[in-house]
Amino acid sequence: MSAPILSIENLSVGFRGQGGGTVEAVRGVSLTVAPGEAVGLVGESGSGKSMTMLAVMRLLPSTARITGGRVVFDGTDLAGCDEAHMRGLRGREIAMVFQDPQSSLNPALTIGRQITDVVRAHRAVGLREAREIAADALQRVGIRDAAARLNAYPHEFSGGMRQRALIAMAIACRPRLLIADEPTTALDVTVQAQIVDLIAELRRDLGIAVVFISHNLQLVSEIVDRIVVMYGGKVVEDGPVEAVERTPRHPYTGLLQACVPRLTGPAGPLVTIEGAPPRLGRMPTGCPFSPRCPQAEPRCSEEMPVLGATDDHRVACWRPQ
Amino acid sequence: MSPPILSFRDVTKSYPLGSGLDRLLGRGGRFIALDGVSLDIARGDVVGVVGESGSGKSTLASIAVGLFPPTSGEVTIDGHPLSALRRDRRGPLRRRIQMVFQDSSSALNPRKTVRRCLAETLALRGVPRAQQEAEAMDLLGLVGLGSEIAPRLPHELSGGQRQRVGLARALAMRPDILIADEPVSALDVSLQAQVINLLSRLTKELGLTLLFISHDLALVRTLCTRIIVMQKGRIVEQGPCREVLENPADPYTRMLIAAVPKGLAGRRTPGPAPAAAPPPIQPMHAIAADAHSTSSR
Repeated sequence: MSAPILSIENLSVGFRGQGGGTVEAVRGVSLTVAPGEAVGLVGESGSGKSMTMLAVMRLLPSTARITGGRVVFDGTDLAGCDEAHMRGLRGREIAMVFQDPQSSLNPALTIGRQITDVVRAHRAVGLREAREIAADALQRVGIRDAAARLNAYPHEFSGGMRQRALIAMAIACRPRLLIADEPTTALDVTVQAQIVDLIAELRRDLGIAVVFISHNLQLVSEIVDRIVVMYGGKVVEDGPVEAVERTPRHPYTGLLQACVPRLTGPAGPLVTIEGAPPRLGRMPTGCPFSPRCPQAEPRCSEEMPVLGATDDHRVACWRPQ
Repeated sequence: MSPPILSFRDVTKSYPLGSGLDRLLGRGGRFIALDGVSLDIARGDVVGVVGESGSGKSTLASIAVGLFPPTSGEVTIDGHPLSALRRDRRGPLRRRIQMVFQDSSSALNPRKTVRRCLAETLALRGVPRAQQEAEAMDLLGLVGLGSEIAPRLPHELSGGQRQRVGLARALAMRPDILIADEPVSALDVSLQAQVINLLSRLTKELGLTLLFISHDLALVRTLCTRIIVMQKGRIVEQGPCREVLENPADPYTRMLIAAVPKGLAGRRTPGPAPAAAPPPIQPMHAIAADAHSTSSR
């Protein structure tokens, strides 16, 4: 296997708490992404999945900061590098697409202007050439009549088209890593399927590595190679998609899989995960999932299991399935 | 057979298009949100209304609950036209339809505690002040919340808790019909499952008629007995839920079904061949006839 393009090593992210203390939202996360690989980062709200990737982009909210670990992208530690270096990377080498396309676009500027701004920030091209690149990117994400659409404003686009435009903006400079944070949550199922198709297609045609953040295991399994499950700021399971889907080893992964309603099989009550995810600053000492885990034993709430690395399917559990 | 509890007869809702001048000159045209919809919903039916944005499913809900009147056509509750109910606002019929909204944070008043929100709703129903507190606590219990959340404000609650409070507020009016407009689409999958199971239990326990508006067919399959598929303001297909999902007649229904995420079975990139074929679809005749299906057209 080739060297990873992104390697997150023991990363911790903390929020300033009341009274000067720090509350950790990401607690020692390690994961790697190989060139061209698609990784699904799965977990509930508050699991730390978005914070981990925002730390990679160095776009954390002002109250949060990286408190430990490294983020190695292409040989450079992004956790310690200066803002100027990050500016050169963002949009050029690493791009991110967010959940709400409406608030990610500037309503006062045309779609074309917003894409060409990104292109011209990173490449020494003139306006005309930048517009050609932008039109090309829009066409690639499946927007018909792309050259004319450059003059449209965000409100003239539907939700699905706005998300396509954002993806066009993200891929205009041919980054090597695309981070998609719940890119389809605000969209209809049919549009969701189209966006997932599009991401799979871009990956195949451009060889872009993808980190797909979602709470829906069923959805990410359709396009990723590997699944990383997070809970309570930690990685609890990490493995090839087939292995994680067929034989989930962490009880949380199994439950997460079971609570998604399906179109086949029995239609009885849904499996639920009782209780609620742990709140920031109130993490259990042991496994963060132990208070909700049907298989928990006394040891689970006392000692945090380490992410076992016997093969390429890692699990952090005292009683793996 | 008892008459339908909720009935739409040829209901149309349209909005004028174009500028004010266009409208004055009658050349603006109209956008048709709902196009001659007729349907009957029997007491105790749990009906899923599915379709994409713009299919008219939310318009259908808003008209049913009386948020705005239809442009033409008639909506009746137990044979009473809804237009008459709106004038008779305090009348007992008006409260028979309640609604749960998609975005629980904007559906609750941010300055009112859960206790006050429920007490005010109970007061509308004429519950004496002395009993409001006890009833509010009962309602919280009904939706699986503890009394400790009563003094909290909406922003102090999680999304799942807020949605339950919205549900408790709707139930405070003791409705016959509950309309839930995408109630779980903003929630995590694990919370989604909790709220869906709760809705399922409550409809059975309280004998509610539920209109569940969603674009997620897998959710509708879990919860509903009947399904109505809408596209561009029209009903393109309806019937017993399992029958329609297993044997869709309309191409649009088939497209919606194809769009549901299917995990490994729906892999987009060529990977290793799946070890096990997906479970075969149950043949239609194997499913018991649906007791709730009505003879709607």
